[in-house]
Amino acid sequence: MSALLELRDVRAGYGKGPDILQQVDLTIEEGRSACIIGPNGAGKSTLLKVVAGILSPRAGEILFRGEPVAGKRPDQLLRRGISYVPQERSVFPTMTVRENLNMGAYSLSDKSVVAERLERVLDMFPVLAERRNQLAGTLSGGEQQMLTLGRALMVKPALLMVDEPSLGLAPQVADLIFETLQHLDGSETTVLLVEQNAHRGLEAVQWGIVLDLGTKRFEGPANSILDDPRIRELYLGTRVGSAPEVAE
Amino acid sequence: MTNVLQVLVLGLLLGGVYALMASGLTLMFGVMRVVNLAHAAFTILAAYIAFYAFTLFQVDPVVSILITMPIMFVVGMVVYIALFPRIENSPKYVEMTVLATFALALIVEGTLTYFFTGIFRSTRPDYATDSFFWGDLFVPKGQLWALAVSLVLLLALWAFLKFTKFGNAVRATMQNRTAAEIVGVNVRQVSTVSFGVGMALAGASGSLLSYLFPFFPARHWQWVAILLSLIVLGGLGSLKGAFIGAMALAVASAFVTDRFGPTWSPVTFYLALFIVLLVRPQGLFGKVVRI
Repeated sequence: MSALLELRDVRAGYGKGPDILQQVDLTIEEGRSACIIGPNGAGKSTLLKVVAGILSPRAGEILFRGEPVAGKRPDQLLRRGISYVPQERSVFPTMTVRENLNMGAYSLSDKSVVAERLERVLDMFPVLAERRNQLAGTLSGGEQQMLTLGRALMVKPALLMVDEPSLGLAPQVADLIFETLQHLDGSETTVLLVEQNAHRGLEAVQWGIVLDLGTKRFEGPANSILDDPRIRELYLGTRVGSAPEVAE
Repeated sequence: MTNVLQVLVLGLLLGGVYALMASGLTLMFGVMRVVNLAHAAFTILAAYIAFYAFTLFQVDPVVSILITMPIMFVVGMVVYIALFPRIENSPKYVEMTVLATFALALIVEGTLTYFFTGIFRSTRPDYATDSFFWGDLFVPKGQLWALAVSLVLLLALWAFLKFTKFGNAVRATMQNRTAAEIVGVNVRQVSTVSFGVGMALAGASGSLLSYLFPFFPARHWQWVAILLSLIVLGGLGSLKGAFIGAMALAVASAFVTDRFGPTWSPVTFYLALFIVLLVRPQGLFGKVVRI
């Protein structure tokens, strides 16, 4: 196994505010899907934003396949294989489903590849195939989440980061999203998930990471985290439910 | 009845130019959240370019869009790069764009007055004062030309946004900036080019304006007020809204002119602005945004 993503002493925060991430050290191995859990305000979403290039780190190193990528623009990171699904709904509302998916392939230039990827994503999400000519803004919350996920998969990313996919969704819809993420295991895409609902998140991946107060507290195989009495008490005991994480 | 139809036609003929100016402005707001108060000032600048191209080199004002558009495209990109990236991370970004473009409008106006004085100018191609009757309808040729050129340019803009890859990136940035970044759009580049395109539209408007309405540097204040009311009616950032808002208000002001005289024509726009802000502040096709 080789390291896909490494964070070394990464610090980050918003505007002139305090550090939300404080010296985070983290390694994501290629092919080992992982889920970051932790309480509200732990910095989980911030971590994904930093890796995606939406937010620049204040200090520290980020290596993707061994190359430094800290502070690069989102489009540059995407070309290297980092794809990101943010927490808030992020479809293009007055574009059709198909146009949205094609925008996902914006960084690709080969039209036949784009067409082939489009078919693949529509196969994964039959609902989207049915509504391919509908405007994205008219889709339900769950469908929009699938569309955002499908759009992120158009580039066949090496690393797919998904922030709170189940937030505000009906349980059956959330199930479908987690199933899709699980199906990616063993493909060329490694999943890095952030999930408030820790049980559910950890069940979908192989590796678990506990983040609290801006640093990594613990990591290990997902099922061992679920069984660890300390972690259970601290982070899994009280289900925080679906309260949204504080983020800018 | 004939009279109503006649007024309607005159309104629609002018609506095209209004729409052309408004579409540039709304594009800038939609993509970059820049409220460009200098849009009309740059339109007047382009009108001066058209004026001198006509008086010195006998270039037809309609043909002069081939000069004004590229010049203003470049000017737009330079202005964007010089002013906006450095304030784009400010929490008061939109307010700052208002102040920055207000200053820009003053600078452009002052410079134009310095070089070209405050004398009323206007290009006088043959067709500017020519007209014909279509049945019972009186049709001024110059305004018909202006409408035709405006529609062609707006159609080209629509096709560019709808069918080209870069145009799709522009639309994506207008609809959701963060999402556009995530799918790999270089939003800085898109913003720069879009600002250039918006200014190129101001350039084309200036060419047409140069024979439709007499102008002098300070004239832009009247125009920017009209433009703002057009795009607020349509919904800030909506191109469809800008077009429909422009056509609707051009027709409305034609009727007001017909009924109450030309003095009252500008009132149409301010009144519309008031009513829209009271009744439907997001405009006809705007979405509610929190800034």
